[in-house]
Amino acid sequence: MSMKRREFIKKAGIATGAALTMPYLLPTGRLFAQTGSEKAKHVVFVLFAGGVRQQEAVLQRYLAESQDLPIEGNIMYNMLTGAPPELKIVYGTTSPGGQPGGQPISPILQTPLDKQGTLFPEIRFSKAGTGHFVGLSTGVSGYYGTTQGLRQRPIRPTIFEHVRRFTGAKATDVWFVGNGIGNSTPLLNHSEYPGFGARYAANFFAPNITFGNRGLEFLKGFKVYHPEEELLPVREMQAFLNNGFNLEGKEIPHLYNTEEEKFSIKEFIRTTFERLENNQVAFPPVTDNGDLTTIGYATEILRWFKPKLMVINMSAVDSCHGSYTSYLKSLHRGDHGVAHLWNYIQNNIPEMSGNTIMIVMPEHGRNLNPNPITDENDWFAFDHDSDANSRRIFTMMVGPNVPANLRVGSEANPVGDAADSAMTIADILGIKQDVLGTGLMDFGARSLFDRI
Amino acid sequence: MNMPTSKSLLWAFLPFLLLTGACKEQATSYGIEEVLVQPVDLSGKKEKTPEQYIAILYANLYQRAMSPNQLVKATETITSIGDKQVAYETVISKFMNDPEIKLPSNEAMRSDPEAFIEEAYKRFFVRVPTQAEKTWMINYINSHPEVTPEHVYYAFAISNEYYYY
Repeated sequence: MSMKRREFIKKAGIATGAALTMPYLLPTGRLFAQTGSEKAKHVVFVLFAGGVRQQEAVLQRYLAESQDLPIEGNIMYNMLTGAPPELKIVYGTTSPGGQPGGQPISPILQTPLDKQGTLFPEIRFSKAGTGHFVGLSTGVSGYYGTTQGLRQRPIRPTIFEHVRRFTGAKATDVWFVGNGIGNSTPLLNHSEYPGFGARYAANFFAPNITFGNRGLEFLKGFKVYHPEEELLPVREMQAFLNNGFNLEGKEIPHLYNTEEEKFSIKEFIRTTFERLENNQVAFPPVTDNGDLTTIGYATEILRWFKPKLMVINMSAVDSCHGSYTSYLKSLHRGDHGVAHLWNYIQNNIPEMSGNTIMIVMPEHGRNLNPNPITDENDWFAFDHDSDANSRRIFTMMVGPNVPANLRVGSEANPVGDAADSAMTIADILGIKQDVLGTGLMDFGARSLFDRI
Repeated sequence: MNMPTSKSLLWAFLPFLLLTGACKEQATSYGIEEVLVQPVDLSGKKEKTPEQYIAILYANLYQRAMSPNQLVKATETITSIGDKQVAYETVISKFMNDPEIKLPSNEAMRSDPEAFIEEAYKRFFVRVPTQAEKTWMINYINSHPEVTPEHVYYAFAISNEYYYY
């Protein structure tokens, strides 16, 4: 009788323990993930990158402060409140027999994102040169790598690494989606900082390549091995061969995905090719540039993995180096893509709907004055050479716990810094104190919630 | 009278021995046959670049060189995926689906597993297997009738040693 009672107590104890969730030892050695101050379960950070002038974005000046033409208007009407231009429409699609770019893309959102959330209209890219890679690495690491070079991973740990390290998130919980593989973009998914690095990296896809012509040739139709009958002996032989090559650190580079995660990624690749073939990939209504296809594939990744953090990199506006008209088109499409992404999360991913904060920020701005290059409309192009104008950017936040219809800061009183986004993500996911404790972000970086 | 010790005799004859010995030509033969020594020392190996890995893999599987155009495209595909283990495994399994790759037949492997394993080690690791490696692999193949040459080659291609040179 006493034995039965003891067994009962033992079983009840196990059941209670399981119900309360087994304590999970984090990589940092802490027993529980800090979740008390979590503002949302998921963050999507859109690096609205390529270099965006404030004048054509937040200030809605269209041609007025670039080409000496008195035509103003808002070409980002999903993100910003304001009427579009009425003349010289070149940024839309081209209807048959119509003017090139003369058909603006229909808005996706009934309420612009600045009304749904908070806009910081005058953020500063305060240090380092306004180059794309240093801008992107600042965005993902919260640290201005003033000595950051191309072909070099971010100098300080990225927000991906902080999230994985301090929350215990899996590799497939954290994604970086690149618009391509140029400009060292694939290096942004982790740093090599001691104590961080590949062990805490984000998974990465440059989906326009993975699922583009190259992927069609080298990935589509790959053989799916039976997990027990085929993969098991392969893994056993692989383990034996690796044992004979037992040199520390000498292994094929990887991101510490578990076997299940690797299988899931491969299944995702296989399924995405199938969905492409069946026209099921959730591309935006207009998908005529690389940013928009990237956004489409990003929605597929969100739908499949429902990650805790995804950072998406865009870049088409950088055509402004040589064509102002193309820049306007890309800006308009960037707005379209962001709206599609937000709309898709809210309507097609129930696990993330109402539980995701989206942040949108260009990595840096563009010059006040043009370069001598003119395009088909005789409009001047703009570079980004670290002048004061190229340090002006905006940041937008939308989602739960983000005040609606709020603007923080102005041209006369700029509020916020480009290094803030990473700290803001840490704040949203409840690890701000942990990240602050590392002292590895810019000393001036703060959560944008603390600047409201 | 003390007899001279062997030590003092050695000192006395040492200059003579040195002078005569230094002039003589040594012609010693130990009767050992020359053998090809292959490296088994694994230290100091370098990581292959994605280009090197893919080019060598393709040559190993197809027994011909990959075209430069294909190599560029394959490398870009690998670069577009963050986890290189996932990327390589996926590309290799795509190759494995191609009827043009040159694999030994299952019969050939089963009839002479020793030769098959030696060939696999030479093909992928550019060395001969140790006796222990050979024994383990032969035993594994013999005890796993479901294992095919494709599985063995796949395991070699995704092993860490293959990624280093």
